[in-house]
Amino acid sequence: MIEFTDVHKWFGSLHVLNDISLTVTKGEVVVVCGRSGSGKSTLIRCINGLEPFQKGRLVVDGFDLGSSSVRLRELRMEVGFVFQSFNLYPHKTALENVTIAPIHVRGLSKAEAEVRGRALLEKVGLGDRMQNYPHQLSGGQQQRVAIARSLCMQPKIMLFDEPTSALDPEMINEVLEVMVSLAREGMTMMVVTHEMGFARKVADRVIFMDRGAIVETADPETFFTAAKSERTRDFLSKVLHH
Amino acid sequence: MLGSLNTRVMLEYLPAIWQGFLSTLMLSAAGFAGALALGIVACALSIQPLRWLRLSATAYVDAIRATPLLAQLYFLYFGLPRLGVVLPEALIGVVALSLNSGAYVAEIIRSGILAISRGQVEAAISSGMTYLQRMRLIILPQALRPTISPLIGQAIVLVKDSSLLSLISVVELTRAGQMIAIDRFMPVEGLVATALAYLLLYYLLKLVAGAWSHQNRLPGPA
Repeated sequence: MIEFTDVHKWFGSLHVLNDISLTVTKGEVVVVCGRSGSGKSTLIRCINGLEPFQKGRLVVDGFDLGSSSVRLRELRMEVGFVFQSFNLYPHKTALENVTIAPIHVRGLSKAEAEVRGRALLEKVGLGDRMQNYPHQLSGGQQQRVAIARSLCMQPKIMLFDEPTSALDPEMINEVLEVMVSLAREGMTMMVVTHEMGFARKVADRVIFMDRGAIVETADPETFFTAAKSERTRDFLSKVLHH
Repeated sequence: MLGSLNTRVMLEYLPAIWQGFLSTLMLSAAGFAGALALGIVACALSIQPLRWLRLSATAYVDAIRATPLLAQLYFLYFGLPRLGVVLPEALIGVVALSLNSGAYVAEIIRSGILAISRGQVEAAISSGMTYLQRMRLIILPQALRPTISPLIGQAIVLVKDSSLLSLISVVELTRAGQMIAIDRFMPVEGLVATALAYLLLYYLLKLVAGAWSHQNRLPGPA
């Protein structure tokens, strides 16, 4: 579904992605962790073409992102993206936020999109908030709307870029629960997060990145108990003890 | 001084002042309509990817902002006939007002668009929207709302700037006031009558502005 082969990316002289090779298969849940600046956000932003890369090959759902003729718009319809800062449209209600892309990009009728949108907002526990504007919702509620917004396009892949980092602690769980249920339904997911509990619970694989490179890839059990790299163990000792 | 105003003469000239008032209203409305159209186009050019189009928008805005309106007005008034383009004075005046105000409108709208966070654009891109869909559905509705108040400010400036059209013999409010001064040698009466009419125009604009921004206020409790 997602296949990185020897991908490199530079910001000026900064080597932000260093020789990334990684394959994510359909239905897999991959958690990416690492210090800030390690390139983990850049990694998933490459997958829907928000960031270009300079060298290597990246194929997502059959779309070759390195080729100049890649139809990015069609790819993006199949790839949902959830941001750290939610990025809901402030001038639209929760329901409008969720239905706007299905109507204008997928070409659904308003009625069809609303049926789909209502069901998804119900599913993320916001059935009573459909007519609210983003500023009337808490952070956790906004992020759940954002997840519903991505799901309403019926994507094949969901990408999460630190979805709980901007949330107050008491709201983190309501968002993680939605993500856990999504993972259990078989969605292909890549999640950049420091929520190691989430990784333990649903990840098929955990990846640790440092200075633009993938340092460690392992199933959660091995990752948390028997990481091979010193840098991974050092990182884990810091994030697991608070 | 105001106590000694000759109100009888002012009333006698009321029809002329009224004509001037209507004329200024229409010249300003036409000028501002043109300014909005020009401003939107110039702003669109200044944020699109083609470099030479961006540069032409910048050149327009800079040329207008760097030179006085009076010079621009005379440039059109004396320059156009030399190119063989003969237009009525009133039309030249409207074109000058539009060209002048359009540059400021472009900057006002641009500042609104640039204030939209990158995250909004990325969210729209990630959902597969085209450039035009992003602009129409996400960027412009958010960008235009905070520009309403500065745009009204620009309209108020334009109304007052339209007084310069009296210099190319367009009959409008200032010109009408000058007639009292010239016919009756009563410059103060003329100026006061004119000023009162401009004040009325100003309050009319404020009324429209109030209704407009009420309609466009952010949804939900303010």
